[in-house]
Amino acid sequence: MEDILARIARCVESGKTDKASPYPPDMRGSEGADELTLQAINEGLGAARILDEALIPAMAIVGDRFSRKEIYVPQMLMAAKAMNSSMKHLKPFFQSGETRRKGKFIIGTVAGDLHDIGKNLVSMMIEGGGWEMIDLGVDVSPEKFLKAIEANPGAFVGLSALLTTTMENMKKTVAVLKEKHPSVKILVGGAPVTMEYCEKIGADFYSPDPQGAVNYLKQFAV
Amino acid sequence: MNSFEFDFSGLGIGEESIMKYLGPEEASLNYEFRDLIKELLGKASAVCSPAAEYRIFPAGEWNDEAKTVSPGGVVFRLKDIVYKQLSLAESLAVFLCTAGPEVEKLGRKAMEDGDPMTSYIYDIIGSAIAEATSRMLHAEVRKAAGNSGLKVTNRYSPGYCGWDVSDQHSLFRLMPDNTCGISLNDSALMNPEKSVSGIIGIGREVSFDPYPCRFCRMKQCLYRNTM
Repeated sequence: MEDILARIARCVESGKTDKASPYPPDMRGSEGADELTLQAINEGLGAARILDEALIPAMAIVGDRFSRKEIYVPQMLMAAKAMNSSMKHLKPFFQSGETRRKGKFIIGTVAGDLHDIGKNLVSMMIEGGGWEMIDLGVDVSPEKFLKAIEANPGAFVGLSALLTTTMENMKKTVAVLKEKHPSVKILVGGAPVTMEYCEKIGADFYSPDPQGAVNYLKQFAV
Repeated sequence: MNSFEFDFSGLGIGEESIMKYLGPEEASLNYEFRDLIKELLGKASAVCSPAAEYRIFPAGEWNDEAKTVSPGGVVFRLKDIVYKQLSLAESLAVFLCTAGPEVEKLGRKAMEDGDPMTSYIYDIIGSAIAEATSRMLHAEVRKAAGNSGLKVTNRYSPGYCGWDVSDQHSLFRLMPDNTCGISLNDSALMNPEKSVSGIIGIGREVSFDPYPCRFCRMKQCLYRNTM
């Protein structure tokens, strides 16, 4: 019989949220990440094992498949939905301190820009990589990023921009954050952003896809 | 009075127009998500409130060096691409359109409930409603211009093709407060988010370009060559 952690991982990879979910069609009627996670906890498997041995590897596979264009945004979102259904059972263990995350990550779309799909995808993948997410939303001012950094020392920061015209605000945000907190690591992304632009504005990392950010963060995990 | 309220059924938005944004046809996504799209389109169509309004202004002074134009006493800094497309216009239709706030509320609620896929589809539906509304508005401007023997250009919005999004503030100064229930924040972003603002050139010598995306540098845009 398939190990329960492997079953949870397979549900997340496939986007199978719970028994009632009709997606994916070939898993209709079977238990999903929601029920299986609860079952795993009841069987005494710790939240850390479920996170490290099911959710993180499953989301890494999803991220890699997305990077290789084997799956598209909808499948990735369904995987994230399945991950969320599992994560809701793990959150009490994170909040109590019984299980630790890999670190904190502050994310937001820069001032003047309200596009959040790319930002949400990155947020879900990094959370699926075991990090605690602090999502500041869209149209985020440099000051709001600063406050979040000050409230969460050691956190990493991700900036998103979709418009060529708001990339300038990304540059301003990096400048403000680096001036006050030179050691903070800033990741940038968004359709018009490139590695060349990342280097030009003094950010630390750029990836054209979410999994690249997850892989970059691995070296800093506590 | 150049203000309009549109019924969802007249916007030409069906399952197919949402599916094309999910991924390529060969990914079999259409089959897997058709029921969900149908359900969410039904919910969105029941609550959305598409509306649009435009006002016509003499174009004012075209400054070839600064790439600016000054309708109604405000200055639009258009940059190269938009300036080139509009600079033969004698007058400008300044417009605001919206899908209303309802669909984006449904999307936010889905996100809060941990369902990013539903939220994503609502986002696409909201964009489709706003875009269809601006297309309907464009047709109204074209009809009115045609009645006077004039032609129209494509519609252009601050934030695209290099036109700085901060010019939204100038554009809003040309429209009555709370037009179609749309407001602007300090960052020049509209509320409801699923709204479109912009200008359309009107004149004897202007032309409509059926392939406007070729001028844009956003090669990865979800909506490239689909509008």
